[in-house]
Amino acid sequence: MSVATSAAPSKLKSFVSNQQFILFLVLLGMIGIFTAFNRIFFSVSVAGNVLADWGPLVLVALAETFVIVSGGIDLSVGSVCTLSGVVGAFAIRALTEGGMAPYLSLFIGALVCIGVGCIAGVINTLLINYAKLVPFIATLVTLGAAAGLALVFTGGGPIAGGPSQAIQLSVPWLGPISTPIIIVIVICFICWAFLHKSRFGRHTYSLGSNPFATRAAGISIAKQTAKIYVLSGALAGAAGMFFYLRLGSGAPSSGLGLELYAIAAVVIGGASLSGGSGRISGTVLGALILTTVTSGLIIVGVDPNWKQVVVAILIAAAVTIQGLRRSEGKAS
Amino acid sequence: MTEPIYEVRNISKKYGAVTALDDVTMQLYPGEVVGLVGDNGAGKSTLVKCLSGVHQPTSGKILLEGQERHWKSPHEALEHGIETLYQDSGLAPHLSVAANVFLGREETVPGILGKMGFLAQKKMDVEAHQELERVGIAVPQSNRSVSQLSGGQRQAVAIGRAVAWAKKVIILDEPTNHLGARQAGEVLQIIKTARAQGLGVIFISHTLPHVMEVTDRIVVLRLGKVVKDAPTSEFTVETLLGTITGLITD
Repeated sequence: MSVATSAAPSKLKSFVSNQQFILFLVLLGMIGIFTAFNRIFFSVSVAGNVLADWGPLVLVALAETFVIVSGGIDLSVGSVCTLSGVVGAFAIRALTEGGMAPYLSLFIGALVCIGVGCIAGVINTLLINYAKLVPFIATLVTLGAAAGLALVFTGGGPIAGGPSQAIQLSVPWLGPISTPIIIVIVICFICWAFLHKSRFGRHTYSLGSNPFATRAAGISIAKQTAKIYVLSGALAGAAGMFFYLRLGSGAPSSGLGLELYAIAAVVIGGASLSGGSGRISGTVLGALILTTVTSGLIIVGVDPNWKQVVVAILIAAAVTIQGLRRSEGKAS
Repeated sequence: MTEPIYEVRNISKKYGAVTALDDVTMQLYPGEVVGLVGDNGAGKSTLVKCLSGVHQPTSGKILLEGQERHWKSPHEALEHGIETLYQDSGLAPHLSVAANVFLGREETVPGILGKMGFLAQKKMDVEAHQELERVGIAVPQSNRSVSQLSGGQRQAVAIGRAVAWAKKVIILDEPTNHLGARQAGEVLQIIKTARAQGLGVIFISHTLPHVMEVTDRIVVLRLGKVVKDAPTSEFTVETLLGTITGLITD
């Protein structure tokens, strides 16, 4: 077989033609364009804002990456994020009123947020594995229930009453980077390791690539599905805590529509909704491109209502380019 | 006479009022290739599913090396050395050759990271290559994605995977389907290698010349029953076809 082409040039070629590299160039191009329109864009404070938007988005987009790679979809991540933030806010308020130390109450609040997310993931799993709903419908049910509960619990207004340390934590101190952003970056690395280097990640890919082969290899599809959706819920819960820290309260509107931006980030990052492909690095860059665009449009003075249209164009462009590259890859 | 490595005794399988298998008895000896043939609906798939642990027979016994077994899942049968290559399952195209060979049996790095499930990928790449070579398959690079392989190469990897892992029995459901003549020949060669290693092979196929070429014995199913179980040398393609269709009866 004549597959033994020299390794070095093909490595360089595959690096340059790889999705992440293209996304990185797109990101740099956007930063350049926005800066050309308005010099203010290239500043630490704007970068801080972009990252503050990026944090919760990338958390739910990471969740969505695992789910989409496995061939599923999780529409509930946005409202689970909202509900977690609200329940976490109640817990933090109660703990603060009970006289607990501020950072400890925030830490326990974070665990509550993640716990609520896990419960939502368990419910999604039960609906998929036992009620035999397709993931789209199962998570649509959870989306509605979680969004509704968040409104019922709060009566529509934000839940404050936590320690003032919450907002202080969200202030950037390392250039544009705040403590929650550092935690999010660590979570990105952990997700990368588990999706690309672990058995759990391997089975997530095989499930999305060919469920029949996966079952034939002796892997329990029900268990793998459960792990994926619970992880997705946990990350959505973490996003809820991120919003809480940023706002200093749990708002019933914080994660509204976030699931669509998460799916957009994953798709822009190179994943296919039919499962089996997608990378954490793509998702991280996809989320960064989305938040850069939305911040950039505001700074250069475009009507914010154009935001959704621009996001739509980005998705269309990303998917089209992927399709072209895929068919090219098959031809060669 | 040696003991059969795998055996079913008087098994029946009913789906409601439908009897898919009716009192089927067959033996498989180590180092033997048994052809399982029959028309569509004869019960081949049901028998394969009982043998591989996907379904449990309604009545009758399954014996592995003389010991009665009740498979609760395909996983349990796999763990006891019975590999099945299903007609429609195939490989995960997005994963590499090595990842497919080790799917469900991934090796992890030593230490705490291994306990967390982190994979020893380089080791698996090397071992996958060695294992496939051992069963007579020349796959270019085991870290290539399966989607980059041709149909014949994919099937070779799928069979190589099953042969490499099988400790006792290997069940191949239509392994030469959709393959060109040369690739089918390679698959038959792999089956012969498996036989030479002492495995019991059950070969299910509609392509009767392939059955005639590679098997030692042929079991013919018709309407859920075994109508003939005889050494391959007693058949010709014509008499085999006649037995399958019911034109020839003993």
